[in-house]
Formats: sequence, C-alpha cells, structure tokens
Amino acid sequence: MARKLRVWVDQQACVGNAMCEAIAPKVFRLNDNRQSEVADPAGDSEAKILEAAENCPVSAIVVEDAETGERLFP
Amino acid sequence: MAAPIQDDMFTADAIADPYAYYGRLREEDPVHWNEKYELWVVTRHDDLVWLTRHHEMFSSAVFKNDRRPAYPAIDESDLGLYEYVKNYQGSQFIQHDRPDHLEMRRVMHGYFTPKSMEAWRPFVQAAVKELLDAAEAKGSMDVMRDLATPLPVLVIAEMMGVPREDRPYIRELAEKLLYIGRGEYDRMKPLTEGMRGMIDYVSPLVDRRIVDPGDDFISVLARGEKQGVFTRHQVLVNTSLLLLAGHETTINLLCNGTRAFIDHPDQWALLKQDPAGHAKRATEECLRYDSPVVSIQRIAAQDVELRDKVLRKGDRLRWFISSANRDPEAFEGPTTFDITRHPNPHVAFGSGTHHCLGATLARVEGQEVFKALAERFPGFQVEADELDYQPSITFRSLKSLPITWH
Repeated sequence: MARKLRVWVDQQACVGNAMCEAIAPKVFRLNDNRQSEVADPAGDSEAKILEAAENCPVSAIVVEDAETGERLFP
Repeated sequence: MAAPIQDDMFTADAIADPYAYYGRLREEDPVHWNEKYELWVVTRHDDLVWLTRHHEMFSSAVFKNDRRPAYPAIDESDLGLYEYVKNYQGSQFIQHDRPDHLEMRRVMHGYFTPKSMEAWRPFVQAAVKELLDAAEAKGSMDVMRDLATPLPVLVIAEMMGVPREDRPYIRELAEKLLYIGRGEYDRMKPLTEGMRGMIDYVSPLVDRRIVDPGDDFISVLARGEKQGVFTRHQVLVNTSLLLLAGHETTINLLCNGTRAFIDHPDQWALLKQDPAGHAKRATEECLRYDSPVVSIQRIAAQDVELRDKVLRKGDRLRWFISSANRDPEAFEGPTTFDITRHPNPHVAFGSGTHHCLGATLARVEGQEVFKALAERFPGFQVEADELDYQPSITFRSLKSLPITWH
C-alpha cells in the first residue's frame, strides 16, 4: 500500500506555470485565478507527485507524509 | 489641463524614465491604444497577471500571428531581412502556444528546476570571486563590462559546454541580437547578422551533441530533436535563444540592482549589516524596482474585453513589467526601494505558462553578486555625469556603469 500524502500549493508563491498540472493532472488543477490547487493527493504515484513538486519553478508545492508529518518536499 | 499622452515610446524621456511614462498610462488609461505603433499598452499589475495566465486568449506566437508591419518602421529595402527575422524569432519555443509550447518546454524544463540550478551556486560564487578579485586589484570597474556581462556569459556558456575562448564572440553576436527591441530604422542588418552568426556558430556544436550527447544543455535540446519535438532549425534557434536570454536579462539585473544600491545608501548600509541574510529579498526587490525586462508582446487570439476596452482578434499588445511592478494597488510604497519587502509579488519573470525558464538561475546570480559586493566593498560612486540606457522597450539595459569605491 502506498503511503498517504499531504500535498498543498502555496498560493502566495504559485505563478500558474501549470507544469504540475501537465505532469500529474489528476493531482493538480488550476483554479479560477489560474493558480494550482490540489484536487486529489492520491491521484497519482508518490514519484509523480514529487516530480511535479520538483518541477515547480517557484517551489510552491509542499509534500508531506500524512501520517508522520515528515517533509518530503521541498 | 495635463498634456495629452504622446505615443512615441522611444523618446529620450520614455527610455530614460519608463516609470514616469508608463506610470502615467497606468493611472490614466491602463489599457491604452497606442495609435502610433498600433498596439495596446497594458500597464496594471492585476491585468498583467490575468492576461499572462490566460494564454489561450493571448498568443505568444507573435511573429507568426502579427499581420501588421514592423514597428517602428524599417527601411523598405530591408523587408526581405524582416522575413528572415520573423522566421528566426518564430522558431523560438517562447514564440509558441500550447500544445506545442508545453511539449517544447518540457524538453528543457527539467534542466532548470530550482534544485538543479541551486547546484550551480558554488560555480557562480567562484566566478563572482574571480571577477571581483580582478576588479579590486584595478581599483575601479565598469560593472557592465567587468562583472555583469562576464558572469552570466561564463555561467550559460559553461552550461552549454561552449569553449571558454569563444565567449567574447558570443557576446558580440548577442549585442547584435539585442536590436530586436529597438527603434533604429536600419536595425534589421545588425539583427540578421547576429542571427545568422549564431546559427553558424552553434551548428557544429549541435552536430556533435546529436552524435555524442553529454549532460550539457545543448545535449538536452539535441535530445528534443531525436524525440521529434524540435526540428534542427528549432534546435539551432533555441540554443541561440538560451545563449542570449541566459545572460542579457541577468546583466540588467546586476547593473540595475547595483545602481539602485548606489542611489539608496540606506539600503546599501542595511545590506552590509547582513549580506547573506538580506541577499534573497534584496534580489527580489532589485527585480521589482528596476526590472531587467520592460515589456513583452502578445497577439490577441480572440476578441477580449479588458477594462472598458475591446481588443480584437489579431490586435497586438504589450504588457509592461516596469509599470506593473510599480503599481500602488499591488505594492505599498511602490517607488520606495526596500530590500526587506515581503511579500513581493513582482512580475519581473512574467507569470503563467511562459514564466521565465531561467528565473532561478537569475536569482542565484543576483543573490551571489549583491552578497559579494556588500561583503567586499564599502560603498560605490558612479564615475559618469549621466547614465544612459539602450533605446529599447524590451530591455532595461544600461550602456555602462563605471564606478569607484572609497
């Protein structure tokens, strides 16, 4: 079983580059401001979610282990 | 009554002080039809953010979709050269819309992640040290010539695996490419010389990377050709683009930022108290206060209503970073240079899907330069009666910045 993740996007930092949405479209979607928000933190594999987070040009995506609270990114 | 708004964006006054010229537009007519050049001038921060994030309404394929002639006007005998320029510019990945843009950007995007760019920080630090050692020994420097130009050229050339001895030649070609945002009547000649020179220069480098790829950036583009995302011509043009974009804008950040510190001794004193601690926010404030890029162009992809105006499909528009970053609706005390400003939602790198690919690299270079300057030098004075800017509405580029220290 894959572990549960807590994933969120810092709205102050997000510039709507939308690369996260391109990489993991089930996890991230753009809201009315065209900024990214999390639609489903279990929508893709941990590896894909971390890839999306790493590819955010302003490091706005935060990923944690939902149970232990361990910070996985950044 | 105030004088009517004059539409020549290339006057000496508008070039010297874009903040006054575009600031007035922002207050009086934030979506302004410029009759002289037949384009919309968009100057508010919120409008800029909105339009850059609605890429489907505003095409970045400017050279492909602009049916109007070059502006300012060019010599009629140069119309053939202008076709070459349009074709060359049109091959840049930044001149594409989705879905092509996304596919092209994805080839390169991974190379420029914050994490991979952070890994270049030690290289940048060493290069800054070397350049400042040389300047210090001399007792004076032209920030442009001795620091702001060689540093980013060194970094981007290293990323691309370009031989050290070729760097001055690259800079020479780049200077010709900068005519793109300028107003000279005969600018097509140097511009096309620069473009052809770049293509000729990078061709053999690309040939080699196709056969024998490495971990440099040209190999990344060559991989894009193998994947069928880029044609060879596009690889050549985009290699040239990254060579240019990788340094011209950073030069402006370093020069304009240094100038801002010279003009604001209190902020310089503050930076000196804790250079490492202030470097990050100070760099953001330099990016906001006197932004490297003045404006960027788009073409309306459909009819769009913006404030009380209707932009028609095919209309061209320019959004002005220089005025958006001084918008009082977005920034408290927008004309104040405050290196502790936070949050600082400046749009120096644009926004949306076309947000600057090299933003993190520019930030690393800015942070390391401002930190090193504050650690090593007491204070500067400018050794010139007046500082001049290139006559461009694209780049905010000083011609030189000669300084001494006490």
